[in-house]
Amino acid sequence: MTLKVENIKVAYGMIEALHGISFAVADKSVVGLIGSNGAGKTTALKAISGLLPLSGGRITLDGRDINGLAPEAIVKLGIVHVPEGRRIFPRMTVRENLDLGAFTRHRDATVERDLGWVYELFPVLKEREEQLAGTLSGGQQQMLAMGRALMSKPRLLMLDEPSMGLSPIMQDKIFDLAREINASGTTLLLVEQNARAALELATHAYVLDTGAIALDGKGSDLAHDERVRKAYLGEE
Amino acid sequence: MDILLQFFINALMLGAIYALAAVAYTLVYGILEMINFAFGELFMFGAFLVVSFMLPQVSLFGVMVPMPGLPFLLAAPLAILFVAAMGYLIERCAYRPLRFAPRLAPLITAIAVSVALQNLAQSVWGAQELSYPSFFLLEAKPIQIGGAYISMVEIAVIVTAAVVMTALHFYVKKTRMGRAMRAAAQDVEAAALMGIPVNRVIAMAFIIGSGLAALAGIFYGAVYLFAHPHMGFMPGLKAMVAAVLGGIGNIRGAMLGGIVLGFAETFGAAYLPNGSAYRDAIAFGILILLLLFRPQGLLGTRLPNRLADRGAMAFKGSASAIDAGLARLSAFFAGRDLVRYASWGVLAVVAVSVFFIFPSPYWARVFVFVLIYALLASGLNIVVGFAGLLDLGFVAFWAVGSYFTSILFVEVLAKGYGVDMSSVWWLFYVNLLLGGGLAALFGMMLGYPTLRLRGDYLAIMTLGFGEIIRLVATNWVDLTRGPMGIRGIPVPSLFGYKLGSPVQLYLLGLVLLALAVFLIALMVRSYLGRAWVAIREDEAAAEAMGINTARYKLYAYSAGGFFGGVTGVFFAHSQQYISPLSFTLFENILILMLIVLGGMGTLAGPIIGAAIWVVFLEVARDMPFIQQHHELRFMALGILLVVLMIFRPQGLLGQKRQPLMMS
Repeated sequence: MTLKVENIKVAYGMIEALHGISFAVADKSVVGLIGSNGAGKTTALKAISGLLPLSGGRITLDGRDINGLAPEAIVKLGIVHVPEGRRIFPRMTVRENLDLGAFTRHRDATVERDLGWVYELFPVLKEREEQLAGTLSGGQQQMLAMGRALMSKPRLLMLDEPSMGLSPIMQDKIFDLAREINASGTTLLLVEQNARAALELATHAYVLDTGAIALDGKGSDLAHDERVRKAYLGEE
Repeated sequence: MDILLQFFINALMLGAIYALAAVAYTLVYGILEMINFAFGELFMFGAFLVVSFMLPQVSLFGVMVPMPGLPFLLAAPLAILFVAAMGYLIERCAYRPLRFAPRLAPLITAIAVSVALQNLAQSVWGAQELSYPSFFLLEAKPIQIGGAYISMVEIAVIVTAAVVMTALHFYVKKTRMGRAMRAAAQDVEAAALMGIPVNRVIAMAFIIGSGLAALAGIFYGAVYLFAHPHMGFMPGLKAMVAAVLGGIGNIRGAMLGGIVLGFAETFGAAYLPNGSAYRDAIAFGILILLLLFRPQGLLGTRLPNRLADRGAMAFKGSASAIDAGLARLSAFFAGRDLVRYASWGVLAVVAVSVFFIFPSPYWARVFVFVLIYALLASGLNIVVGFAGLLDLGFVAFWAVGSYFTSILFVEVLAKGYGVDMSSVWWLFYVNLLLGGGLAALFGMMLGYPTLRLRGDYLAIMTLGFGEIIRLVATNWVDLTRGPMGIRGIPVPSLFGYKLGSPVQLYLLGLVLLALAVFLIALMVRSYLGRAWVAIREDEAAAEAMGINTARYKLYAYSAGGFFGGVTGVFFAHSQQYISPLSFTLFENILILMLIVLGGMGTLAGPIIGAAIWVVFLEVARDMPFIQQHHELRFMALGILLVVLMIFRPQGLLGQKRQPLMMS
């Protein structure tokens, strides 16, 4: 699985939010997209998952163009996007949320097995199987959002701000889980404002600045880069 | 006891019909947060189609066409399928292109579709009732239970509704597609990200909803034994009320709401004083009380987690939020041209009209109507166009002004005190102000309870208010003389010189319109107008900027109401006769459409819209096909507006970007 984003432009009305950015996500890797508010990180993910139309450039999965496909077609190809703010279905039970994650796999006998795996990853979801999702805590909702996405058996999992609004302990836990998911063979594309944690996890990272790629490199290299440390890690 | 049982059966039957249609509204609202006003018309099509399929021949467009004469059990499913297909097409052609538009746009489109469908039905089947042919349900003997009778039709309605609702409940709860529908209702964007084909889910909701509306219409027709182009109107509104009553978006709530409404109406009509006369007002009374005290509905709950909902809104608005920002900028610059445009518009109307008016009293009379509609549209435009609050009860203000002056002149002064009306000619001018003021007070009254409501709820609430005023005007015979109306209202005069000829009335109306436009321009260009536009663009942001949105909304309602009232006074004296028939919801919708046609939130738009429409109405009268089918003109207006909302939402005259934000 290789995702290539080539020179994509995305505009909201007359305002262009992405001015032609390119990056690649290699199989089984963890790619980080970092940058400040409004840099275009979420826009990039939404463009990949088909929520926003491109006004230029192309996105390919294993050499095949995927721009212009409907979101559901992109999910079927194995790219799933866990949106910012979790966006679980609050008036459905935890189990119903997970079942919906497997919506595109309704004739697949291995769904049951994956449910077992998701429950193994997130035991708390198993405990709260019958509870309404809206009543879970923030961290549990984040786990549910990730578990729900995993139920579609993605090859590429895109996480948008998974640590947002969580306590430091819960943040660590979420990043550990992300690492575990990656170790099991799922490629990750991670958007984070918590640059330190993201760079620690990422094999390769890109720094977005007002709609353009400012820097890129190995996660560990960027974590030591003077400019990144000043601008995004708050170090002098 | 017997009579109670009889009422109980009737209430259950009526409630079952409302419940079926209410589920249609709630299904679509749940996902799109949009009230599909057209369900009332699809309800009517259900009845017409079933009758047409059952008869051996039917007159369509005035031509006798042989029909298959199917048995009811075949005709009904066929009619339902047909209407479901119509619902799908409407969604595909009229609503889907507006999926990401501001919320006022699909709402207005739905109203336009509804107008188009109603007039289409009238063209196809004619304005008369089409009777149901006799079939087995009608022929069967009623069953006696205790002292009450229940007919086979009633049994069929209740049983079918129960079966359909149960099936729907399982569909939504247990099936894959049903679960997808619930997910989309909670968060459309997240559902799309989970691989749910959102467009198909929405199409499905329209198909099921339209089928349910058709089924309800078929039964309603079978109970009352006829189909008629207007038959879907009241039941449609009431089903909408039932959906809100149950907690809109909540399927079980809609069922419960329908039943509750059926009982409230049946027992209210029987036991409330003068209940049967105000039967139709009961639903709207309940609605207003509900929205005041429990706006989430009977079964609606406040969400444990509001985040998802906000997310869904962001999905709908994400692209348009920036558009709106841009539009705000361009509106700011364009605002300087508003007055110039308006004066040009008025001048153009005057210039064109002069050529017609002086040679022909007929055209002068037509242009008096142009002025009346232009005045009304200008008043409503303050509320809808500038403050962005959809108002479907505006005709009430017009009615208040009209009735105020008519009752004062005819009933009180002339009949009560025997005053010679021509001796108090000056009172007309005073009444222009008093009638306007009274209507402005009514505007406050309407505005106050709606302050907490946004968007669609507001539209329904104002609609309820308008209907209640009309029902009071129709039924409070001692005050308003009821459906007979009030005759003998004196024409305006000046120092004993009567201004009764069409040309004189035209000139008087022109003065009023010029004054109105001048006043509105002053308001719009002041801090008032800026506050209104801010509320229209983004209410939360306006509030955050320190605008007391409640107060400015009230100002908008009362300012709009004032001009409605003034127009009412002028209308009453220029026509010399008023009756409740003038103040219908349809008239309100028409005024709204004229504003959209000309350009919302512009000064000249309402005037141009009114001129185009009223003149077209007259000119089209002589066109060959339209001569036989007058209602086609209204259908054309409906279709034109749908097209306009998709391709030119700012209206014919509007500036490049005239955003319609609502909530």
